[in-house]
Amino acid sequence: MKSVISLSGAGKLFGGRQVLQDVSAEIGAAEFVSILGPSGCGKSTLLRLIAGLVPFEEGRIRFGGADVTAPTAEMGFVFQTSNLLPWRNVRDNLLLGVDLDPQARRPDEAAFAALVETLGLTGFETSYPSELSGGMRHRVAIGQALARNPQVLLMDEPFGALDALTRDRLNVELLRIWQRDRKTVLLVTHSISEAVLLSDRVLVMSERPGTIIEDVRIDMPRPRDPSATREDPAFGDYVVRLSKLMGVA
Amino acid sequence: MSRRFNRDTATSAGFFLALGLAWEYGVRWSGVQSYLLPPPSAILGELWTSRGAILSQSLVTLTEVFWGFLIAVALGVPIAALIYFSPTAKRTVYPLFVALQSIPKIGLAPLIVVWCGYGLASKLIMAFLFAFFPIIIATLGGLASTPAHLDEHFRALRASPMQSFWRLRVPAALPSFLDGCKVAMPLAVIGAVVGEFVGSNDGLGNLILTASGSGHTTLTFAALIAVTVLSLLLFYGVAYWERFIWWRAA
Repeated sequence: MKSVISLSGAGKLFGGRQVLQDVSAEIGAAEFVSILGPSGCGKSTLLRLIAGLVPFEEGRIRFGGADVTAPTAEMGFVFQTSNLLPWRNVRDNLLLGVDLDPQARRPDEAAFAALVETLGLTGFETSYPSELSGGMRHRVAIGQALARNPQVLLMDEPFGALDALTRDRLNVELLRIWQRDRKTVLLVTHSISEAVLLSDRVLVMSERPGTIIEDVRIDMPRPRDPSATREDPAFGDYVVRLSKLMGVA
Repeated sequence: MSRRFNRDTATSAGFFLALGLAWEYGVRWSGVQSYLLPPPSAILGELWTSRGAILSQSLVTLTEVFWGFLIAVALGVPIAALIYFSPTAKRTVYPLFVALQSIPKIGLAPLIVVWCGYGLASKLIMAFLFAFFPIIIATLGGLASTPAHLDEHFRALRASPMQSFWRLRVPAALPSFLDGCKVAMPLAVIGAVVGEFVGSNDGLGNLILTASGSGHTTLTFAALIAVTVLSLLLFYGVAYWERFIWWRAA
């Protein structure tokens, strides 16, 4: 498989302290890859390195063959907090990334309506973030990244603050969008079951200084859905294996 | 809801009516001379008979406050932005303004009259001086209150520094800026009145001074009421704009 994102020996220091050390990985096109690790292991920092948001000192990170030095329009970042602008309504928040970036392609009316539909936000286009539930805000945040139609979606624990039910629903929606658009998704999470449920591969990180200690391929049939996939005995095996790797079992 | 509102309004109105009546009849029965404390009825009468003078003097004070406040905003906002964006300005301009702010502005009034005379300029400067600092501080606080995670978000969306300023920092700073204006507006009125006390032939401050100097206490009270009403109207004139930045609570 042709790799879209390639890390070789990437390392990051914060004030002389090694946060990430010798991180190497290849992420293929249309792959769904999760980065799983204990809190404070630098997994969010790693995602920012890949996004070009944070400079790094060691190794190389390449996107589509070119070294990453700054954010590009081809990578959409979904943050831990939904980060909506309170003075923009849903429609304008969805199009914020398109408005700001002259290189981003603006979706036409039909594509935009389809996006709103996919996100389950039809009828809420003129609502303001303060009028939305937490789950809806996160859907808008994901939609904002999708509206630019990026090749890669980088997600930093996007559902971390949500309740289990809302989280499951958004995971289903995320899987559906990924299945349809075949984007490359790189998801940072500390939830083992979420990683198994969604991913083709799970990269397990060590405690700080963070590095990838295991690359686990999740061989489970697709399409997946939370209830059926969790009943699959293989699911339990993966969870146990990943838990052991993370030192929690 | 509306019944509740009516009852609350009735309670307030009843309270103030009782207070007014107590004042009115307290003054009459106790025999306090009206040049010391006139009854409300006399003050209201004075407001009506001297309405021409009060209105024209209010207009003088309003003009001073308006321009003083406007210049405070026009200078305060860019200076706050300068202090926010330039570390050098933060170490030079900012402490200078903090030091200047610590000078009692009332003490400056005679000096400003010496420099700028008895006309509009000296009062305008006094109103400006009172309003200026709160506007700088509020704007600065507003700019600094831009959440760091939104800043990063804008970088991820490849926003230019100008876009980040106009589309993120400015709207994020507006609620705090407006709060500053709400503090600064009544202060500008005080500044103008103080300026009129010290050196003026016009304005409500001058009216208060000349009326009390000539033992015309009812007119003093009437002028005080006019200042209060002017200040309240200006305050609500600023507060009106809050509806356009309703996201403050979000």
